[in-house]
Amino acid sequence: MNHPKHNPLLNRLRKGRVMFLLLIFVIVSGWCYVDSSIETGPYNLVYPTNFGNRVNIPADNPTTKQGVYLGRMLFYETKLSSNNKLSCSSCHQQDKAFTDGRAFSPGVDGILTPRNSMSLVNLLWARKFFWDGRASGLEEQAMTPLTSPHEMGQSLTTSAQKLTQATNYPTLFKLVYGDEKITGDRIVKAISQFERTLISANSRYDQYLRGAYQPTPDELKGMELFNTMPHPEKGIRGANCSHCHGGPKTYMELFHNNGLDSLPKDSGMEILTRLPADRGRFKVPTLRNIAFTAPYMHDGRFKTLEEVVDHYSEHIEQSASLSSFLQGESNEPGGKSLKLLPVEKKQLIAFLNMLTDSAFITNPAFSDPHLLSTKNKKH
Amino acid sequence: MKKQFLIACMVLLSFTTIPFISQAQTIKISGEVSTPLTVDAAYLQKFTQTTVVRKDRDGKDHTYSGVILSEILKGAGVTLGPELKGENLTKYLLVEASDGYQVIFALAELDKSFTDRAIILADKVDGAPLATADGPYRIIVQDEKKPARCIKQVTAMQVHFVK
Ligand code: HEC
Ligand code: HEC
Repeated sequence: MNHPKHNPLLNRLRKGRVMFLLLIFVIVSGWCYVDSSIETGPYNLVYPTNFGNRVNIPADNPTTKQGVYLGRMLFYETKLSSNNKLSCSSCHQQDKAFTDGRAFSPGVDGILTPRNSMSLVNLLWARKFFWDGRASGLEEQAMTPLTSPHEMGQSLTTSAQKLTQATNYPTLFKLVYGDEKITGDRIVKAISQFERTLISANSRYDQYLRGAYQPTPDELKGMELFNTMPHPEKGIRGANCSHCHGGPKTYMELFHNNGLDSLPKDSGMEILTRLPADRGRFKVPTLRNIAFTAPYMHDGRFKTLEEVVDHYSEHIEQSASLSSFLQGESNEPGGKSLKLLPVEKKQLIAFLNMLTDSAFITNPAFSDPHLLSTKNKKH
Repeated sequence: MKKQFLIACMVLLSFTTIPFISQAQTIKISGEVSTPLTVDAAYLQKFTQTTVVRKDRDGKDHTYSGVILSEILKGAGVTLGPELKGENLTKYLLVEASDGYQVIFALAELDKSFTDRAIILADKVDGAPLATADGPYRIIVQDEKKPARCIKQVTAMQVHFVK
């Protein structure tokens, strides 16, 4: 480093002292600027080719390494809630594939959410968010939990003010957006960038699809049932799950009534559209990491995968808005539900367990960054 | 006092019933069109009705009736007929259903001067309105082996250029 004593200019000129202070200032502010460990530049989203490139990244929010870093800080930031106790991660916990193990989740005021917390995975490909698809982008989606009085309960303006007063955030926002201004828009954009990196592509099913895993006989049989439409007249047995949950991502962005109730308490998309055909219609959720995301369905009514499979096998409730894919789908002629054999249910569940991606739920890049930094420095 | 209570009850009641005033499904036509349209049952009645016979999953023939899709699109000013040439041949129709399902047709697949195969927007099967889970509108593609593009519960159609 330049030491002033060895600089002849500084020794000769009285002005040198000013220069010295200036130099110190530059060095110190450069060091304060941001922790040098933060990488910058475009973020490379890596995923298998069979996921396809129909990704959803708005033109005004490209994914950058520094943006993802900031987004991850904010995803785990309790200052974004009115009581400083809740963050996104309160209801979206990594070890539960970003769900929370509850049927309904308490917000800052203790009031429970009306629907079950959703797993956050492979959102890069999603275009409609929430159980009823009402949000058309992650940026738009994030505003709801942040500001809803029964979730994090704080206006975006207050959130921006609180972050402006925090030591590390202004410099981080500068690194991401070019200046230190903190706004609600910049908060939701960074969070969305982080969410787009939550890619899960290493379950045993993914490994099987790329020829790197040999499934057990039960898994193979379960996979076949999952992908086959039953045809009792032709002696073909199946569970036909892939009609709604199919493809390499086990997510197809469809909205259906899967026969939970004939008179639903929560009428789902009908509340938005007022169309009787939308009664009891909800997003067909991803089945990725399904073993970790109990309880199941929009109201968390099923505690186990066994209960879910029993539903499709025995308890499809008839109604005018029941999906046509589930009407008269049965392994018995004239049956109203699938009517699977006990061994077939076991095989189907063996396949569902193949969708577990342990690398995803333990990926250090998705964990709470505040835990790491508090170990090293005090706040 | 009693009266206020009654009024309060009525106000509350009127709130709870609002979501249950049912609407009728329509189809929005947009994109590369000269006149964006919202198609409803009354609008469809203005066109000649065409029938197409197709086997369903039950293995039996069913008679679907409705309107030739290209006729509806012409009403919105889509470049069909003599205009379907040059770069207009790189246009496609994206059809979307209420469950989020989407399929596409190249415009040339819909045009009479290219093909005799009828593609209709059906609202009836065997003379009766389509079932709730299929209708009120469904595309029926004559002679197409797989039913995957006979998209049910159609809610929107958009014409686009390939990028
Ligand atoms: C109090 C619990 C709670 C908190 C806090 C919370 N969420 Fe959620 N999240 C939910 C629930 C419940 C749903 C489903 C709600 C619905 O459909 O109405 C949901 C749905 C979502 C979805 C939709 C997923 C999909 O596949 O459609 C995303 C994305 C999401 N949350 C992200 C976030 C982010 C980002 C934050 C922090 C800014 C956050 N959540 C905070 C409970 C919570
Ligand atoms: C007609 C489309 C359709 C078919 C076919 C279908 N599902 Fe579903 N599935 C849904 C919908 C819609 C939901 C969410 C329903 C709700 O919460 O109201 C769902 C939810 C689930 C869930 C709970 C997911 C969660 O995160 O809570 C599991 C597990 C599941 N389905 C497994 C299966 C299996 C196994 C099969 C085959 C036996 C199957 N599904 C067939 C539409 C379908």
